[in-house]
Amino acid sequence: MAAVAAPTRAEVLSLFRSLLRTAKQFSDYNIREYTRRRAADAFRDNRALADPPAAAAAFAEGKKQLEVARRQAVVYSLYAPKAKSVMELKVQ
Amino acid sequence: MSPDKHEILQLHVALSPPLARLTPNRERKTMAMAAARRALLTHLRVPVARTAAAAVAAGTVPVAARRLLSSTTEETKGSFLDKGEVADRVVSVVKNFQKVEPAKVTPTAHFQKDLGLDSLDTVEVVMAFEEEFGFEIPDNEAEKIDSIKTAVDFIASHPQAK
Repeated sequence: MAAVAAPTRAEVLSLFRSLLRTAKQFSDYNIREYTRRRAADAFRDNRALADPPAAAAAFAEGKKQLEVARRQAVVYSLYAPKAKSVMELKVQ
Repeated sequence: MSPDKHEILQLHVALSPPLARLTPNRERKTMAMAAARRALLTHLRVPVARTAAAAVAAGTVPVAARRLLSSTTEETKGSFLDKGEVADRVVSVVKNFQKVEPAKVTPTAHFQKDLGLDSLDTVEVVMAFEEEFGFEIPDNEAEKIDSIKTAVDFIASHPQAK
């Protein structure tokens, strides 16, 4: 089996952007923030992956998670919380 | 005045049978039908354009309706924000970003060289601009934004920025 090429910098940043965009679609504050934080943390953890197969595997995992997030954003929108989180209230 | 729908319908009905009778050859028939359709279409097109323009020019359209028309066109075109205002809002968004020291933020600061942000932070900052200005920045444009100046230039030249 041929070695998998590492994703390019632009591809990685694009995946990160897609994850952040999807995170914003969650109606629940906690899930929205968790998804955003989780994506940012994972990308930071894996930022220095030197060998191409590991980078490719992490990239593939990220793409899978993006699909999960997209599906869950739709499912969660059907059960949106009726009240806002206290964190979303504007400080007077 | 221009012919209305009924007249055009009658014309169509009147034209069809004679054309069919005259042309036993199938190709000639389709050609003739195409010609008839073209004639009908040009007939249809001209009056529509003329009546709309004429109605506005003649002032038969009520003032409120005319205002509505002009406002919708403005909405679709969008309007450009003042560059000074954009600069202020961009600076305050960057200052509010967690990893940035507010004192370091100047209108000419470069995200990576001056503010010490990495490419992942830059993506997050650009997302924050999207939220602040209420429009989506496509990937190829987002890649080019690497300093406060480029961000201000891009947002000020974008008609959908609010």
